[in-house]
Amino acid sequence: MRAFAFSSEPLDPERHRAALADPASGGYASFEGWVRDHNEGRRVERLEYEAFEALAIKEGERIVADAVARFGVSRAACVHRVGSLGIGDLAVWVGVASAHRGEAFAACRYIIDEVKHRVPIWKKEHYADGDSGWVNCERCAAAAQPHDHEHDHDGAHAPAAHHARSAADPGRDFEHDYSRQVALPEVGTAGQAKLAAAAVLVVGAGGLGVPVLQYLAAAGVGRIGILDGDRVEASNLHRQPLYGIADIGHFKAEVAAGRLATLNCDMRIDAIATHATHGNIDELVADYDVVVECTDNFRAKFLVNDAVVRSGKPAVFASVHQYEGQLQVYRPEPGWPCLRCLWPSAPRDGLVGNCAEAGVLGPVPATLGAMQAMQALKLLLGLGATEAPALVMVDLLTLEMRRLTARRNPACDHDLDVSAETPDAAPLELEFETLAAARASGLELIDIREAWERRFDSPDASIPAHCPLSELVNGRAAFPRDGRYLIVCAHGVRSLSLTEHLRSLGQTEVFSLRGGLAALRA
Amino acid sequence: MIDVHVQYFAVLRERAGLSQETVATAAATAAELYDELATRHPFNLPRSMLRVAINDEFADWSRRLGTGDRIVFIPPVAGG
Repeated sequence: MRAFAFSSEPLDPERHRAALADPASGGYASFEGWVRDHNEGRRVERLEYEAFEALAIKEGERIVADAVARFGVSRAACVHRVGSLGIGDLAVWVGVASAHRGEAFAACRYIIDEVKHRVPIWKKEHYADGDSGWVNCERCAAAAQPHDHEHDHDGAHAPAAHHARSAADPGRDFEHDYSRQVALPEVGTAGQAKLAAAAVLVVGAGGLGVPVLQYLAAAGVGRIGILDGDRVEASNLHRQPLYGIADIGHFKAEVAAGRLATLNCDMRIDAIATHATHGNIDELVADYDVVVECTDNFRAKFLVNDAVVRSGKPAVFASVHQYEGQLQVYRPEPGWPCLRCLWPSAPRDGLVGNCAEAGVLGPVPATLGAMQAMQALKLLLGLGATEAPALVMVDLLTLEMRRLTARRNPACDHDLDVSAETPDAAPLELEFETLAAARASGLELIDIREAWERRFDSPDASIPAHCPLSELVNGRAAFPRDGRYLIVCAHGVRSLSLTEHLRSLGQTEVFSLRGGLAALRA
Repeated sequence: MIDVHVQYFAVLRERAGLSQETVATAAATAAELYDELATRHPFNLPRSMLRVAINDEFADWSRRLGTGDRIVFIPPVAGG
């Protein structure tokens, strides 16, 4: 079957599915879009789809081919209806066959999202009150590729004009105009070529990572890796405006990759939707020229530090706390301190507060992230070579910036990995699929989230034993000693820190719930 | 007694309830000064977790203080 096709006849999912059958595939995912009976509060009775097929098929085929290449699936296809459809009719079908289910779901999601964004298809809704209108031209609203045309969503929306302009859309033939940065004598065409040849790994696509990703992609960095295993949460949006409401629940790495692709069609993006671990960090760091560390926890920061020191790669670190931020560049050169030179006893997460515990205004990580992007560009362009190593402290309440000269610590091991779990010791983390399984483990569950985090727990998901981390840190509460405990928080970061801390105090029967409550099935 | 200028950041600023102060102290070293200040402010971080900078340069805790020194106590921060 064709990778992308239109049909004026009703779609037959069974037939399409059979066409994807492949003995090497162990998984199949599909998406069906149905005609629904309402839109924006109006009753819809039927609708019509129109497409400029020659152009739309080309774009559709490109999307399916991208998905196959990007997610490594065996086969994929998409069929879209045109013509007149009634309520409940199948409007679009996407199917993906793959060796494994994860890629099948991801590719399926990618294809339907991109088709809705990029393929020029128009929908005319006929309402119960006799009125009708062309709607939902997502290409107009939020195209995945740069384009410009008037917005005209009334009945006179003119597909012809639309097509003509779409055909002239820059898309993949778009030539980026870097003239405003090439004009800088320190950049020039040679500098631009350096950026195009460079690869940057951004660890963490949150408040710091978002501006880093946006500015590096916009500047024409040739390849960007986005390493983040988190999914977008509603509480992220105020400081991570690369993401939107519809992205909640999706992997940040994948959503960010999609957005960056709309900003720069020359670059390659590696969406790595997993956390940095001892097992993967060295291999990842080895694959890039510069690492920008944008996570919100010490474990990851020191993990990245140790990997860049071992591999001799430069890195840019930053962290924020409420209205303040710290920025540090590491160069693999004599005299340059690493993160451990400055912080010889790797701090424990949870003791100094992260964004969830301490609060933060969006422009604070945005400012520090923009500074990180600038430092990364300087490293790639060979600027700032005379800069002395320092920790830069920024206070956005007082608008003061302070540069504290830092030196390499002769006593520092630089990549001493004290946080590594030794194989002989009992594991710090335990993994459970459900809360019931955790309860059945024989360990007593203790919730260390703050009271406000527990407000929305459903009654059957509640954990009676509550000991907020802030109370422990302040010394207002003590962690119980006689028993075997499974420490639980939202994502498993704070619980792991506390577990490490308690183990260091000699309490052996404590464990952290890996991934926290977010990792559990209901 | 010498007068030194002290600045606090992040959790230390919150705990001290102020971002800077001028202190008359008999402390000879940065370590003694922190321990002295910790009796006046409810600091919850052990000195081993902090760094100190004197006159815009990272310094050892054993560094002798001089009158007029600008001292910054820096906790690590992790938010992102």
